[in-house]
Amino acid sequence: MTPFYSQEVAAMHPDEHIRDEAAHWAVLTGDPAFEDWDRFTSWLESNPDHARAYDELMSQVGSATGMLIDYPVEEPLVAANDDEDTFHTLWRRGWFGPALAACLAGLVAAGVWQIRAADEVYVTPMGESMIVALGEGSTAELAGGTRLVVDGEDARSARLERGHALFRIRHDAGDPFRLVAAGDTLVDVGTIFDVRIGRERLDVAVAEGAVIVNPQAQNLRIDAGEGVVRSEGVYVITALPPAEIGEWTDGRATFRDATLEEITLDLTRATGIAFSVQPGSEAMRLSGSIALGPVRSDPRTLEALLGVRARPVGEGWVLSLD
Amino acid sequence: MKGDGLCRRAYGRRLAFLQHAWATFPRFNLRASILSLGHKIVQEVSSPTSLEQAFVANRQRLLRFLTARGAGDEAEDVLQDLWMRLLAAGNDEAAVHPSYMMRAADRLMIDRYRSKVQAAKRDRAWAETQPGVLDDTDAAPSAERVIAAHQHTRMVHEALDALGPRAATIFRRHRIDGIPQRDVAAECNVSLSTVESDLRRAYQALCEVWRRIDEG
Repeated sequence: MTPFYSQEVAAMHPDEHIRDEAAHWAVLTGDPAFEDWDRFTSWLESNPDHARAYDELMSQVGSATGMLIDYPVEEPLVAANDDEDTFHTLWRRGWFGPALAACLAGLVAAGVWQIRAADEVYVTPMGESMIVALGEGSTAELAGGTRLVVDGEDARSARLERGHALFRIRHDAGDPFRLVAAGDTLVDVGTIFDVRIGRERLDVAVAEGAVIVNPQAQNLRIDAGEGVVRSEGVYVITALPPAEIGEWTDGRATFRDATLEEITLDLTRATGIAFSVQPGSEAMRLSGSIALGPVRSDPRTLEALLGVRARPVGEGWVLSLD
Repeated sequence: MKGDGLCRRAYGRRLAFLQHAWATFPRFNLRASILSLGHKIVQEVSSPTSLEQAFVANRQRLLRFLTARGAGDEAEDVLQDLWMRLLAAGNDEAAVHPSYMMRAADRLMIDRYRSKVQAAKRDRAWAETQPGVLDDTDAAPSAERVIAAHQHTRMVHEALDALGPRAATIFRRHRIDGIPQRDVAAECNVSLSTVESDLRRAYQALCEVWRRIDEG
């Protein structure tokens, strides 16, 4: 059998070595031009574990490929008033065109968004908020440290790339508002909703109306007074007091079972002061609502509010457990 | 003649297939396939078709392959199933090529493996979803379970995209769009061995993500 990467072989666990060989053969037999079935037979005959490893690999690759075919890609930013067929056509081209271009020209796929013309980009510095008009009767209020991209041809379609924003959307059943946030698609059903992108999570809270999360996949409906948290790929829906949703726009910060790290991210966005967490204090979780005015003028007020220690380090403040 | 036994057995099997096809393959153009089968049965009495000749000529090679591929003692039965498949596909012109038969045999073994795994999973799932078998579970799949299933799609996409745009594109062009590896190489302006090594990486990444999904 061909030594296709001989140097690594010696150090490998035998199973791993067999799996590598199985992958090698799977690639070869998967091509319609493959002819060398007798050599493949010899490989299979040389060890009864080979057939099992090959079956397992082919079956796993087949299952995973099936999923890729059933759900081609995460939904891109597409004008929401396109009819379904156009949507799917664009969709298919959506991954293939850019990916092929990337393949040919050696570009990274992320560059593709810049190719799309005339999108409007709104960025807020830390500590500063902004209200963006999204077509007739709709707005997005951006917290500090936020980046929102609105489709240049359709204000009913936008992408929240980072940060935190409260959307007040005039409902139009024929032209729903569609937001992509950290890979999830949110479609409004007449709505005020809050979206927050954290380091490892996405928080969506609905104050009025309802939002559909990923209509092409999970299709979760979040009603007023509910929120959904996506963390490590799992979506959890919880009930929330509607009054708390979007409270940050009145100069308050509200946390629900948040880690100190998430809290410092929010505080930094809201105040522009660089807060960070003392290593070892990350695991602590807190719920509550604090007024930001006093924090802005004296970060030390956090000590009483959160029960932590705050000390100035360089340009910023470090929070730690007592 | 060496092939007689096979032809006679195949004849009986074909009648069984005829009944089976009515019941289970609504996607077929039934009338056309059954007419053509009838035609073949008539033909067979006088002389074997070229597909039969090719199949008989490759019988030993196929048997050896199926045995090595894990069929063991069942290799003869699997060979019969393979014959039924080749007939049902109705693509005699392509099927006379030994590589086509070997490929069909390989696919058949993968399908057998997958249905075995599926059956084992169903048994397990049954125990898990029976009320009372494991505490008070509901017989219907829970919302969490449905959501988790959809999460897996994201994991698969991420695993593929993590390999970089070239490898991800090569995988998609070959496995999803069905483009032969040589053509994918030309399209992406890379060598065939680059395509092979990207595919190998993609296969390993997808296997790994699938193992994670299976372990839940």
